[in-house]
Amino acid sequence: MTKATFIFISFLLLTLTLISGGYDASLSGQLIITTPFLLILGIPHGAIDNVLFLRNKKIKHVHFIVGYLLFVSLNVVLWTAAPLIAYLIFLVISAFHFGQSQFCHYFNKQTFVAKLLFFFWGSTLLSGLLYLNYNETQIIMDLYKEFDQFRVLHRKIGLLYFFSVSVSLTIIFTVILTYKRLLTIENMFMEFLVLTLILSAFYLLPLLIGFTLYFIILHAFKVMREEYHFLKIEQQIVSLRGFISLVAPFTVISIVGILILFGCIYSNLVNLSYGYSLLIAFSSITLPHAYVMNGFYLLTYNKQYSANMK
Amino acid sequence: MTLLEVLIIPKDDAVAFTFFTGYMAMLAASIFFFFERGRVSDKWKLSLLVSALITFIAAVHYYYMRDYYLATGENPTALRYIDWTLTVPLMCVEFYLLTKAAGAKIGLLWKLIVASVWMLVAGYIGEAFNPEGGDTSHSVLWGFLSTIGYIYILYTAWFGEVAKLAEASNNAVVKKGVRTLAWFVLVGWAIYPIGYMCMPGGWLNTSFGWGSENVDLFYNIADAINKIGFGLVVYSIAISSTKEEKA
Repeated sequence: MTKATFIFISFLLLTLTLISGGYDASLSGQLIITTPFLLILGIPHGAIDNVLFLRNKKIKHVHFIVGYLLFVSLNVVLWTAAPLIAYLIFLVISAFHFGQSQFCHYFNKQTFVAKLLFFFWGSTLLSGLLYLNYNETQIIMDLYKEFDQFRVLHRKIGLLYFFSVSVSLTIIFTVILTYKRLLTIENMFMEFLVLTLILSAFYLLPLLIGFTLYFIILHAFKVMREEYHFLKIEQQIVSLRGFISLVAPFTVISIVGILILFGCIYSNLVNLSYGYSLLIAFSSITLPHAYVMNGFYLLTYNKQYSANMK
Repeated sequence: MTLLEVLIIPKDDAVAFTFFTGYMAMLAASIFFFFERGRVSDKWKLSLLVSALITFIAAVHYYYMRDYYLATGENPTALRYIDWTLTVPLMCVEFYLLTKAAGAKIGLLWKLIVASVWMLVAGYIGEAFNPEGGDTSHSVLWGFLSTIGYIYILYTAWFGEVAKLAEASNNAVVKKGVRTLAWFVLVGWAIYPIGYMCMPGGWLNTSFGWGSENVDLFYNIADAINKIGFGLVVYSIAISSTKEEKA
């Protein structure tokens, strides 16, 4: 069990007891609870992509930022020209990224089967989230007219089919990797338990609270812990304080960026709904982040680092 | 009450069924652990005795609980918690005995006992003093407090002192044993809250309509898994270690 898993289980148990006390599960109530966690812990986990990417590369910082903004702009163009394709790409990349983050510490080398496991674990997570909270997602989609074009991907029967296939393939690939001795039997059972708990959280808790619990603890906290250990090994930081000052600038910039975006929508400079523009913003942040993290995992879980990263 | 009356078990009463099988299984396990003590080396005899005591104490309580349940049809809450107040700290003693050779101090034992008693007392108040018809806020408050005790033990078993001592022991058998017991705490002990939330006013009771008869069903299943399973793990460690010493 990783420390992130322990914290997740602890928070899940405590949250379940509290939620059972009759918490008002309205969307606005959920946003009030989850937004601070997403801002304080969610955004920082991707706020040092520049540091991780530029390591040992002869690329200037400014060039990285220009390239990053170019990538974001292309993504926004894609969202404008072909929103359904952009949305699909976002889901596929997110699924792989979540799965990679969950399993990366087990493997020194990411085989093809391991990559399949990453994707299908992540797709179990996303399809499970949408299927197990079907009514809530429909309410959210009804709020914003732009989401109508994605309804084809959100049919209940389709989600159930994709969820079932993803769960089955996740189990099969996990068993294959255990059979090949790339995972231990204990690892396999732990991962099955964790996935069961995540899906239980999605089913039992309101949509945003369930997802935030997973995202903040099992994903963002785990990634930040790995980044912290990596930077310490690399002697780029010496303490937690150093890490915080490293993640702070881009965290603040991201939050300010979201506020500016909301300001533009409020003053009718951008003719999009808040929900839809947030989706585009998250997609624009996620795609380059997933790319950088893929390189980070390939680097960190080789023999040189793995002993100190787990 | 005649013996014949006591032995009538309704065919569809899973709770009564598990009370009887639980009683016999606990008793059988106690006899097994008592007799097997003779086969293990001296350093493991105390651990096996504790395992036997855990299942024996449970067997005695199950003897009374099954009769109480059949006579009244109610949950034997007080008997249940008297049993747990004795057996759960004894399970903590097993952790201490396993890691003692690696330097575990008596303070570790006390910390685990305090956490387990905290967990049980909070659970008892939540269950026994639940107002007639059930009160969700009462159940939530005491369930939350009880969970804190559980999380402390879970942490100690997986990352804290127990885990560190097992790692430091450099003994593969002890490491594997402690890890297996930690799994029992993680999965086996987690069955109890499911039973707790079935009582009137509990979440599973109010939100999913799970009746209060399920409280004892889940508790009986959890007891069988945890008490006998816990003992069997200790037994397996003792046998493996004894074999290694003889080799």
